[in-house]
This record gives sequence, structure tokens and C-alpha cells, in this order.
Amino acid sequence: MSTARAFVGWFRAWGHVGRFALAAFAAAFARSTYTPITRAAALQQVYLTAWQPLPGFVLFSTLLSLVVIQVTITAARGFGLAGYALELVFRVLVLELVPFVTALMVALRSGSAINTEVALMHASGELAAMRDARVDPMQREFVPRLVAAALSVLSLTVLSCAIALALAYLVMYGFSPWGFPEYTRTIASVFSLPILAGFLLKGAAFGVVVAAVPISAGLEATRDLKSAPIAVMGGMVRLVLALALIEIVSVAVKYA
Amino acid sequence: MEPTPKAPQNFQFRTGLLLGLTLVVAIGFVVYVLYARGFFEATQPLTLVTDNAEGVSIGDDLSFAGFPVGRVRRIALGDDGRARIELSIPLDGARWLRTSSIFTLEKGLFGSPRLRVYSANLMDPPLPPGSVRQVLRGDTSEEIPKMVATLRSALENIEQLTASGGSLQASLANVRTLTDKLAERQGMLGAVLGSEDDARKVVEAIDRANALLASLGGVSRKLDGMLGKADNRVFGEGGVMDGAQQAVGQANAALGEVRDNLKRVERILADAEAVSGNAKNATADLGALRAEVDASLRKVSGLIDEINRKWPFQRDSEIRLP
Repeated sequence: MSTARAFVGWFRAWGHVGRFALAAFAAAFARSTYTPITRAAALQQVYLTAWQPLPGFVLFSTLLSLVVIQVTITAARGFGLAGYALELVFRVLVLELVPFVTALMVALRSGSAINTEVALMHASGELAAMRDARVDPMQREFVPRLVAAALSVLSLTVLSCAIALALAYLVMYGFSPWGFPEYTRTIASVFSLPILAGFLLKGAAFGVVVAAVPISAGLEATRDLKSAPIAVMGGMVRLVLALALIEIVSVAVKYA
Repeated sequence: MEPTPKAPQNFQFRTGLLLGLTLVVAIGFVVYVLYARGFFEATQPLTLVTDNAEGVSIGDDLSFAGFPVGRVRRIALGDDGRARIELSIPLDGARWLRTSSIFTLEKGLFGSPRLRVYSANLMDPPLPPGSVRQVLRGDTSEEIPKMVATLRSALENIEQLTASGGSLQASLANVRTLTDKLAERQGMLGAVLGSEDDARKVVEAIDRANALLASLGGVSRKLDGMLGKADNRVFGEGGVMDGAQQAVGQANAALGEVRDNLKRVERILADAEAVSGNAKNATADLGALRAEVDASLRKVSGLIDEINRKWPFQRDSEIRLP
């Protein structure tokens, strides 16, 4: 009986996420949402989500990229497949691993914070007070976080991918300019326009999910403060699942 | 009331900087990709026709001397059931394509098939834009089934050879008996002759031959001594050869005398013919001369006998007179 209830609850939670995401999307694309207060809140969220962790994140992503590139290129050279090494680095590291890891990092740092924050706001009655004051929490609190998370994930992804691309060139050819034609050719063969569009879409989806799933999970909390940890836990599990699902779908669409 | 952590005053500038940088990087990369894909390059079309374009994909390179000179843009099946690979050749790479160029599609064991162009004579007129060319095709993987079939028959042969009761097994058994015999007391001889008795006989025969050779050695030593003595006797000081030499000298002198006497005989015979009247004198002279000739001949004969005596190997004792 409890298994069935858990199953239904699981579905209801996902339904809740879907409904919230749709509503947030509608609000995010409505012009009336972007009041100066909303814009300022969004910028502040971007600052907190992307700028603050930037040095540490850049360092981490550089290290990760360097290790993966070095391993890939050395192994490919060992097998006599150096011609495929760059393509492999682009396809695995730049297109899949770096965006996924970036989304995971933002989810761990900001997703959990958003989740807890919303759960506490809900439990403390702050959201109800807002509604009483005829302030739409969606517009004032949720949409800025959603947009900021999407922008932050995209921004961090673009920057760390650029670092990875530069590192791939340096590891493969060193500081010589003569690898540029071959590098350009590999770029051309990997990054077709559909791949680029898919990359952008995936980044945006990661960004939206990183905010939408924690917010909707936070809204599941009750007036009881003790419900907040459970809401956060459920939200984080669903968030990681959603990120993995997006990654799997992206890879499946590209290679299946 | 604001539950979020405080951001510094200039957070809007910093955020703008970050987002601006992101935008610049993203747009820059898109432009780079467009450049890489030849978006800003003038190209000329080229169509390659083949009966099988399997594995060729859009974006593949057409390479000349290992350098890409063009790229596959589209693959389509023509109305004649042949695959048409449409390429775009940047004008920079088009100068390597000539009317006499040959296009090949080579398929290795892994990786996508490679389109290659070979231009033997770069003096030929350049390939006009929009040309349609045939592709020569080589496929490693198509060769594999044939190879497998050959390999299978070879393996079957090996299996028959090595099966129990097969010829290889029998040969190996023979080899084993041979090596067993080699390891026995008579060793290799026993293995070659088949039985131990025969081998022993051979060994005894060899022993006897050895003894025989030893006694032959003694005989040859004696022979050596005898030959040495004979040598001394024949060629040594006062030996047979010396005597023979002296006899030959004497014979020469005797023969000279005989020649003189005979000349005188000729003269006398001529006198006799010319002076027939003085027949009595002539006959008296002839009697004396004959006695001289006889004496000379006897000397010669004695000399010959002496030579024959000193030269024991001479058998023919006859001497011819001139």
C-alpha cells in the first residue's frame, strides 16, 4: 500500500514540476514579467550563481579538461589513432562531459540553495504574505531565479567549453600555429549547425531544470518547518535525475 | 526581508561583464565554426558517381596527397540507381583537380571511407566546375569473407592432419620410435639399420678396417724406404744414369766414325763406278774398308750391348742402321 502511495506521490511530484515549469516558462516569456525589480533580482541571482563560484569553477573545469584531454590524446596516439583524438575530445568532453558537469556543479551549489530557500519561504508563510500583498511570487522570486540559473549554466558552460577547446589545441599541437588548419577541419567536421543548436538547447534545458525542479520541490513543503529537509531531498534527487535524463536524450538524439 | 546573501554594489557591472564575455565567446565560436565549414569561402561543385556510397557521410574530406581539398555536401541516389556524392571544392583546393584526375573511394577496416583524388599531370586543364566523375572503389571489408573462406579450408586441412589417426599423428609416432632407438645403446646406427646385431657387425667391420689400415701404414713405410734406395741407385753418383750418359757419349763418337766411313764408302763406290779399269785395286781397297766398317759396327754393337746392360729397362735391343 505504501509502495503504491510512494509511486503515486512520485508521479504527482513530477507532474508538479511539469506544471510549474510550464507556468514559469509562460511567465519568463511574458514581457510584463520583466519589471526593473525582477531584472535586478535576476542579475543578482546571476552574480550569486555564476560570478561568485567563477574562479573555483574555472580552475576545476580546467583541471578536469586537461586530464581528460591528456588521457584521450595519449591513448589515441598509443593506438595509432591520433587523427581521431581531437574529434573524440570534442565529442566527449566539449559536447557532453563539460556541460553535464557544469550543470551538476550549479545544481549542487545553487539548486540546493534555491530548494531550501523556497521551502523555508513556503513554510514560514512568506509566499502567502506576498500573495496577500498582491505581489506574484512567480514574478518576484521564481522567474528571476529560473532565468538567472539558465543564464548562469549557459555562461559557465560556454566559458568552460572554450577553455577545453583551447586546452585541446595546446595539448595536441603545443604552441605551434601549424596545427590550426587541421584543428579547424576537425571543428568543422564535429560542430555542424544542428549540433551547435542542440548544444545551446541542452545548455538552456540544464539551466531551466537547475532552477525549476528545486523551486517546485520547495513549494511541496508544508507549513511545518520539518517538511523542508524532505522537500529538499526529493528535489535534489529529481534534479539529478532530470539532468541525467536530458543528457541521455541529447546523446540518443545525436548518435542513435 | 531579503533572504538571499548580499551582493556587492557593482554586481550589475560584474554580471554584465560575465554575460557579455559569454556572448562574445559564443558568437566568436559560431563565426569560427562557420569559417571552418567554409561558409565564407568561394567553392565549386563536383559530383562523384559510385555504385556504393556506403559509409560516406556529409562533411567527409576529399583529400589530395593527404591534404583535404574538398568536402562532401550531399549524398543522393540518382535515377540510374547509382549513388551521387556531391562535394564542394574551395577554389584554393580546386587547382589540384585536373581533367585527368582519378577519384577513389577506399574503405578500411575502421573509420569512415576515404575519398581521394590523384592528379598525375598537373599541366592538364583544370576540372571545370560542376563536373561529374566516376569513383574507383576499394573495400577491405569486402575482401574479408573471401579471406575467411580460404582460411576455413586451410583450417580444415590442418584439422585433418592433426586428427587422431591422421597422417601427422602416424608420422609423429614414427618419429617417436626413431628417437627411442636413438636413445638406445647402439644409438643412431641401431636406428638406421633396424636391429642391434647388424649395428654390432658394422662396428666390428669398422674395427677390422682400422687394423688393416694400421698394417697398410707399415707396408707403405717400407715401400718408401725401397723407393729411396732405388732412387739412389738410378740417379745417384755412379748410378745407372751416369753410366748410361757415358755410354751415350761413346755411342755418339762411334756413330760419327761410322758416318765418316760410310762417306768414304760412297766416295769409293763413285770412284769404282768411274774407274772400272782399276778393279783389282778397288777390290783390295774394298776389302780393307769392309774390315774397317765391320770393326766400327762391332764397336757400335758392343756399345749398344753395354748400354742395354746398364739400362735394365730397355727391352728393344734392335738398332737400325742408316
